[in-house]
Amino acid sequence: MSTGEQLLDVRHLVQEFEVRAQGGVRSGVVQAVSDVSFTLAKGETLGLVGETGSGKSTLARAILQAPAPKSGEVLFEGTDLVKLKGRDLLRARRQMQMVFQDPFGSLDPKWSVARIVEEPLVAFRTAARAERRRRVTEVLDRVGLDPERYADRRPRSLSGGQAQRVAIARALALDPALIIYDEAVSSLDVLIRAQVLNLLERLRSELSLTYLFIAHDLALVKQVSDRVAVMYLGKLVEIGPAESLYREPLHPYTVALLASIPNPDPAASRAPVTKTIRGEPPSPIDPPSGCRFRTRCPRAQDVCAAEEPLLRKLADGHFAACHFPVSDDAPAPALAGGTHDAAAPD
Amino acid sequence: MSESLLEVSDLRVDFRHDGRLVRAVDGLTYSMRPGQTVAVIGESGSGKTVSARAIMGLLPPSAKVTGSIRFDEVEMVGLSEKALRSHRGCGVAMVFQDPTRSLNPTMRIGAQIREAIQTHEKASRGSAQDRALELLELVRLPAARERLEQYPHQLSGGMRQRVMIAIALAASPRLLIADEATTALDVTTQAQIMELLRDLQQRLGMGLIMISHDLGLAASFADDVVVMYAGRAVERAPTQMLFAHVRMPYTRALLDAIPRLENESHAPLAAVPGQPPNLALREPGCPFTPRCPSATDRCREHAPVFEEHEPEHLWACWHPCEDRVRL
Amino acid sequence: MANLPSDLVVAGVAPRADEAAADRVAGRWRGRIGVIVPAAMVGFIFLLCFVWPIIGPVPPPTGGNILSSNLPAFSPGHFLGTDPVGNDEWSRLLYGGRASLEIALAVQAIGLVLGGLIGAIAGYLGGWRDATIMRVLDVLIAFPGLVLAVAIAQGLGPSKLHTIWALCFFSVPAAARISRAATLRVREQTFITAARLSGTSFPRMLLGHIAPNILPQLLTYALLGMGIIMILEGALSFVGLGVPPPAPSWGNMIAQGQSTLSAAPRYVFLPSAALFITVVSFNLLGEGLRARWGSQ
Repeated sequence: MSTGEQLLDVRHLVQEFEVRAQGGVRSGVVQAVSDVSFTLAKGETLGLVGETGSGKSTLARAILQAPAPKSGEVLFEGTDLVKLKGRDLLRARRQMQMVFQDPFGSLDPKWSVARIVEEPLVAFRTAARAERRRRVTEVLDRVGLDPERYADRRPRSLSGGQAQRVAIARALALDPALIIYDEAVSSLDVLIRAQVLNLLERLRSELSLTYLFIAHDLALVKQVSDRVAVMYLGKLVEIGPAESLYREPLHPYTVALLASIPNPDPAASRAPVTKTIRGEPPSPIDPPSGCRFRTRCPRAQDVCAAEEPLLRKLADGHFAACHFPVSDDAPAPALAGGTHDAAAPD
Repeated sequence: MSESLLEVSDLRVDFRHDGRLVRAVDGLTYSMRPGQTVAVIGESGSGKTVSARAIMGLLPPSAKVTGSIRFDEVEMVGLSEKALRSHRGCGVAMVFQDPTRSLNPTMRIGAQIREAIQTHEKASRGSAQDRALELLELVRLPAARERLEQYPHQLSGGMRQRVMIAIALAASPRLLIADEATTALDVTTQAQIMELLRDLQQRLGMGLIMISHDLGLAASFADDVVVMYAGRAVERAPTQMLFAHVRMPYTRALLDAIPRLENESHAPLAAVPGQPPNLALREPGCPFTPRCPSATDRCREHAPVFEEHEPEHLWACWHPCEDRVRL
Repeated sequence: MANLPSDLVVAGVAPRADEAAADRVAGRWRGRIGVIVPAAMVGFIFLLCFVWPIIGPVPPPTGGNILSSNLPAFSPGHFLGTDPVGNDEWSRLLYGGRASLEIALAVQAIGLVLGGLIGAIAGYLGGWRDATIMRVLDVLIAFPGLVLAVAIAQGLGPSKLHTIWALCFFSVPAAARISRAATLRVREQTFITAARLSGTSFPRMLLGHIAPNILPQLLTYALLGMGIIMILEGALSFVGLGVPPPAPSWGNMIAQGQSTLSAAPRYVFLPSAALFITVVSFNLLGEGLRARWGSQ
């Protein structure tokens, strides 16, 4: 559903954190996002999947320059956000907004709903108060919250779903082009989640929005996305059309993720997960050499430790970073007592 | 007629909150046999966690519990704290959701497992340590011997949860309750832990109650599923039967709301409007009425009774769903 | 107050009309007793010290007639008696209380505003700004409060105003510490990140987001600190560096009463008892508010 125009072009993004041991002594650097590049077209929904430590949330914040990445470029409609400061960055920020995981944490408990939604309008000094109020009413309506009933409520008196709708309304206030959802529905109940997801779809088509949808649930991500990107330990390991990723996953980690999804249809039989992935996630401070997934990968060979695989095109619009991608001729094998070292515990 | 391991009858649990009476569990009834895996599925406010705590005797003293919980023919409701303590751990054990908070960060792993062992049996430090090692190997914790001397923060989330399971198994319980035990874990780790639990359960012949909001998870690992809503059981059936012939509109709504890999991108999810009811207000009739597509006046006025309508399939609904043609 | 398991925290919905109103009200009031009673006590003390002397029959605290000195309690016109110079004891108690309370209020208010602001700025900005501010404050905090206050009062000379300045050197850094800690906690919350992404300016962040969210803690601390400040003031006045006589303050009343402790203990006992009751009331109020706000 995209117009093909590029909205976002992320190039070689790197984000690092200092790790401090007890007593505040620097003990190491974590590369939470390591040389990640991808593009996002206008009107498209890109899903970003990864588990804890994958760097997906860090990536989202780095795109928004909160804080700015260590290196790399983030081209938004041609302008590199990394180079912007102060006023210019503020202006650019109007176009991108974020909805967070914790519906209550992202709302100031002392503010009323109307004030929360109005905040971006106030900050950018758009229009007089009457006009701002009108916009708040409009946007609350759009997310399905009756302004009469909700404008003066505090977050404390809202349910999770309602609070998240307020957060979405706030994100819409400035009429952005891009909205990033960082696990935005993960804390919601199943039925409420479905409601909110439907709302997101409706908003997307009504307002021609572009979405970056981050989650750890691959089935969820696939349902809402046009394309899906998979991250592991700071690296982008696979990216491609949602359908292709599901039917023909290329990277062994994607295969493992797919195998881990509990299937509501008991009639479907699957290989147990332990055959697709083994061991524990390695420490992000000291990631494995070469391919970061090799310590848990059933297909790993010596070259995987020596040389880091780069993202390369393996099918139409479908890229993977793997020396031995999964394909019809070489499907993911069962883990039968490999000769490779077991994952070193952290 | 196999002896029943657990029989919950008309369980009600009330709390006092902000001056109001909140009925968290409202007439829950179900039973299970030894060696069975039962999944208790519900969203927030369904009462699933409170009912599990009631079985463990872990509710705060301000909670009022009525009804009956018979574990191994022993009535649990009304037992003294002393009796409950001996019952916990060797009768019923529980694995909680967040291993970070359930493990003592200042105690070594080995010490915590030993503590669990020594609470229930007289064992010397040496033999308790041996048993601790055995348990860690049982839960497939890599490098178990080294782990005994480590602290919780040195382990990953999945490993900590394995330790929690080891602690729970320390006194060889007959029933293990996993309360959202994998919710806080990564998807791949979650699957590994669930497979571990299932193996352990089969090996040790324990009963296993899985508390979760994830119906898909239940489908993959449970024999029977009990669906709870607003403190009551609304449907119960063996897993295959539940998915093939779902009757209660709420259960159907849950099933339809799960994103499937097979679905097309941007396909809308079938969603019911509204939200879970306020447990402080007790309306007559079925609690799902405001959101139910099949609701009628009868539903509003009279609460349907939870009973067996088809062999092994119980539900509480005046207008159950028909079998539908599934893709 | 029962702590509900997390999966039971239910969104607030307007209560039904026919719900037992008494049941509901009783529950809510139970939690508030801890606040209402001390608040009433504090209110009563304020009323006595500030309002009563204006509207009621209270003779002036100074300029007494030496001929009616040392009258015992329950004498006509002086129900608590008079002091060695002829001033009405009851009046001195009330005006003394006013002085002590004024000082404590001023000190805590300045501490709250100034200290609160400094701490919040330090906590929010972090980095070298935070480090610098905190080192300066650390130096001030390192001095024992009383010693610092005494030194400053000594330097400035005894007067009510100077006592306030001196005690501020104690209250401002202490409030800054609390404010900074509270700010650090609030800063981690997602709504701060969201506000930053919304483009909210730094002053608005501080006043709109940080301040309201750290206020409960600061206020509780300020109330608990009232007692400390009043006692410090008492100590200053006791050594002659606080409110200068003949104007009364509870502290200098205790100091003056010392010399006649065995003959007429009431000159020490009355202001001491008043100080004690007031400090306890503020403490209970602070504790009650902390218990109430902490549980929310």
